Amino acid sequence: MKKIPQGVYYAIFTVFFFALLVVSYNHPRTRKRPDNVMELFSDFSWLNDWPRWLDLPFMHWINTNWKIFINEYGLIFDAIGYGLLRGYTELKEVAVQAPWPVVIAAVILITYFTSGRKLGTTVFVGFCTFFIGFLNPRFWDKAIETTTMVVLGIFICVVIGIPIGIAMARNEKVRNAILPILDLMQVIPAFCYLIPGIILFGLGAIPAIISIFIYACPPLIRLTDLGIRLVDKEVIEAAESFGASKRQKLWGVQMPLALPNIMQGINQCTMMALAMVVIASMIGTRGLGDEVLLGLQQLNVGAAIEAGLAIVLLAIVLDRMTQAYGEKIQQRNQPVKQIKKSD
Amino acid sequence: MIKKMQKTLIAIAFSFLSFLSFSATTTTANAACSVHIGDFDWDSANIHSAIGSFILEHGYGCDVEVTKGSTNPILAALIDNQIDVIFEHWTDNNVALIDPELESGNLVFLGVNTPASEQAFFVDRATSEAHGITSVDDLKRPGIKDLFTDPENPSKGRLTSCISGWTCYTINLVKLKEYGLDEMYTNFDPGSGGALDAAIMGASTKGQPIVTYYWTPTSLMGKPEVDLVRLTEPAYDKACWDEMMVVVEDIKANGPDVYEPSCACEYKDMSLTKLATGKFAADNADIIDFVNAYTIPTAEVNDMLAYYVDESGGDMEATAMHYLENSSNWESWVSSDIAAKVKEAL
Repeated sequence: MKKIPQGVYYAIFTVFFFALLVVSYNHPRTRKRPDNVMELFSDFSWLNDWPRWLDLPFMHWINTNWKIFINEYGLIFDAIGYGLLRGYTELKEVAVQAPWPVVIAAVILITYFTSGRKLGTTVFVGFCTFFIGFLNPRFWDKAIETTTMVVLGIFICVVIGIPIGIAMARNEKVRNAILPILDLMQVIPAFCYLIPGIILFGLGAIPAIISIFIYACPPLIRLTDLGIRLVDKEVIEAAESFGASKRQKLWGVQMPLALPNIMQGINQCTMMALAMVVIASMIGTRGLGDEVLLGLQQLNVGAAIEAGLAIVLLAIVLDRMTQAYGEKIQQRNQPVKQIKKSD
Repeated sequence: MIKKMQKTLIAIAFSFLSFLSFSATTTTANAACSVHIGDFDWDSANIHSAIGSFILEHGYGCDVEVTKGSTNPILAALIDNQIDVIFEHWTDNNVALIDPELESGNLVFLGVNTPASEQAFFVDRATSEAHGITSVDDLKRPGIKDLFTDPENPSKGRLTSCISGWTCYTINLVKLKEYGLDEMYTNFDPGSGGALDAAIMGASTKGQPIVTYYWTPTSLMGKPEVDLVRLTEPAYDKACWDEMMVVVEDIKANGPDVYEPSCACEYKDMSLTKLATGKFAADNADIIDFVNAYTIPTAEVNDMLAYYVDESGGDMEATAMHYLENSSNWESWVSSDIAAKVKEAL
């Protein structure tokens, strides 16, 4: 392929920029435009304050297209929403119906095995779980609702995020294209997508799960990408010299070695998902965030802090469970250290 | 060469900065007064605050600070005298909180800002006409609740309600119980004002049935897509309302378990009012005269709200200026020399 000279790009950008200037100047909604364009070159007062006519009608474009978009594609989002909602309600029902000691026992068991039978972590996590309900019995069901949303959100993140991370690690061009999108997802204020989310999916858990994906997926993608690229060149060369195919190299060498990093990504993803669930209570999402918001709106300091503590406890439980699993894998990946330990 | 240029650049930047800080301090020192306005998280309050602050800033030459927040934090700040004036207050929602403050003189009442407003349950017009739903009793008819199925609790209908923490949420809760609707409908908390608007807007654009609590004056009501029918309720009766409010306050303090059957009726169509702290009123008689005179008819408020949302793109100051340019109503609020100063600033 012939390389396009840099100058061509600059020329395209310049043309595009001036086209934007002309289009926005001539847009019917642009206000306080001088009667004649030539006035701009004789009267330079517009250089003092930002002139009203120098205004890109971006908002207007978005609003117009947004309406068309809802009318054309609203059904697709209804279908996605319906599918997610079914998953959410079924999962939630199971966990809410189960007696609370069973849930705590399940949490303890899972922690025990994921942490590689570490007794201290297990006992600590068990107590944290107990204290969520102990703080306020009303919190128990709400914590389960919150956890369900977080788990569903993480599931979507993993299903979509990890393949994207792999693609980024294997192809420079894909990475350059996706990195700015990740920046956008991480930095754009949550309310920018929460409100359109309500219009597309209605109030409740679904826009919250979608927001979790937007907010919490980027670190998982980044860490997957990083993890795969950090695998030692020598190891890959060794695999290649044994005649490993590209696929064998990925699944047999790169992925297992990148797993601690990916687990770290899932851990980060969990924490960010929890943070988002609290913000999502502003759009009618049930759960612990709801309680914090209520405390704020009623100026009830005690209630807000109590609910805040419950969220911290939930965060500790989820964090320790994912973290412990990551540590276990890391130890498995470093056999040398393990031998030293058992000495 | 480059080093020299850097030095000059830094020198220029420094002189520019010091000039900026100098001009900033002079404006503060010259300000005749300083006013701290409390604003809320809904649009009619926003534009009243914007018009008020524009006149105070350019007409009276005051330093104006606007703090925006939810009802309770802002009212608490007002009672605490951290905020001086609020331009829109939904009187009847906060009687228990504000009345004692008015009596003690900590706050002063400054008249009406918009003569009539309604709060009620609304149904979208298409559903209302198709199924003949015109009153809250109609919601009880068999099959009606299934029109509004709550996706997270399919056995009930979803009544999109007021924001939990606002008094109207508890009022709606009691109303649903009194009207015998609580077994059929969830009193669904949308979480925030913006989310409530978006829920109504979403249902309206997609043509889905919705039954919701809402209020006027609001820009949403003026949008072409949104067409809501107000459901009739038992007529407003003060004795009944007061009886209900006792239960409402009890629930707010002690949780929904303390509910006792009482009475329920429609919201009173109420006036929106203005408040200031007693201390501020004593020190700034001329400003208080202006705030007292400030009032805008409901129709004009609705027009302004439509302009605020659709034309100005949510630019409060532009909306305020649009109003001040196109109406002469406001000139009677202030003396002629202040009106002249405001006009000059437009």
